[in-house]
Amino acid sequence: MAGMWAMVLAVAAFLVMVVGPIDALLGNTSRLAISAVQAVVAIASVVALAFGLGRLKRAYLRSKLH
Amino acid sequence: MTTAAETITYGAIVSAISFFAVYLLTPVAIKSLVAKGQVVQDYHKPGKPPVPRPAGPVLMAGIAAAELVLYALTMNPAVLTVLASTAIAFAVGYVDDKRVMPGWFKPAALLLAAVPLVALHVQGDHLNLVFGSAFIPLLYIPLVFVIMPIAGNTVNSIDVLNGVASGFVMIAMVPLLAAIAIFGSMDIFLAGLPLLLASAAFYKYHKYPSRIFPGDSGTLLLGTMYGALAVAGRAEIIGVIALLPAVVNSFLFLSSVKRIVEHRQVKARPVTLLDDYRLAASKDAGAPATLVRLIVADGPLSEKEVGHRIFRLAIISALMAFATIAIQYFLR
Repeated sequence: MAGMWAMVLAVAAFLVMVVGPIDALLGNTSRLAISAVQAVVAIASVVALAFGLGRLKRAYLRSKLH
Repeated sequence: MTTAAETITYGAIVSAISFFAVYLLTPVAIKSLVAKGQVVQDYHKPGKPPVPRPAGPVLMAGIAAAELVLYALTMNPAVLTVLASTAIAFAVGYVDDKRVMPGWFKPAALLLAAVPLVALHVQGDHLNLVFGSAFIPLLYIPLVFVIMPIAGNTVNSIDVLNGVASGFVMIAMVPLLAAIAIFGSMDIFLAGLPLLLASAAFYKYHKYPSRIFPGDSGTLLLGTMYGALAVAGRAEIIGVIALLPAVVNSFLFLSSVKRIVEHRQVKARPVTLLDDYRLAASKDAGAPATLVRLIVADGPLSEKEVGHRIFRLAIISALMAFATIAIQYFLR
């Protein structure tokens, strides 16, 4: 449970500290393009979180049930 | 904007209405449902005793009465949007209580519960992410449509043993209400009190051994209202953390069966019932992984003991949610 909590907070921190200020890296790119990049990265991070939780689940189930 | 004195007064009023309405109406509902033959068997007890179901209408009546009084006192339309979302979830659950619906019905129909929130734009433009917030005016709209069915179905999926759904929501509501009071609005905090108090009153009849089951109308109502409060109160992440054991349960089930189905449609059961009525983990490799299956993997437990283990996990999650509130409070 604590592992999941840490993963949720890590994704939240990544979104705020990396994805949020991404416009500074992209310079004079249009606002719409920046938003699209931010949305894609944010969705990818949530998918990565789900994938990470899936791995955690498989490892835990293997040790518990098999 | 309500003052501190008004908040205390209104809080006492809505708490009393929701608590006593559910506390006093539930015995009436039990008698009425038994008289009408609206009962289901409790498979985990000797003799499989009949238990009346659903208690959703009682929960809805208690919560609706409190929310309507709160709206009359505050005139804040956000209170009505929370109530509207809850009522839609109740209606969806009530249909499922009365007819056997396919597995996709509940998640799909619960999309409607997001409509009142989005229509009145109660979610705002900034998503609270603990370490700061993200300005996502457009992306927030589909996000609300994702949150609402997940919240409703998550609480629905934890309703597997006596008292678990109502007790779990009661525990998860404590950090959620704290987060809404600190980072959201006092009117939404007041709108959340009826969910806590109605769950507490209902728990008296739902706890082991249950005298009534909430049914889909009750659990979808509880979960969806929890989701609506998290959205309207700017506390989505804290709401997820407080609900982690139930989220884990849904996640385990979905990633095992790899499709949206009702539990009754799954052939291999995750737990087996021993002769002494204790629950044991299924040895079937094809059985879905669930929270209860993991809890009894270390050894068979009685239904009451499994319920207590789930509550212990809920308390740990609530403490982690409070730790998250502290992080957010000191970083802002």
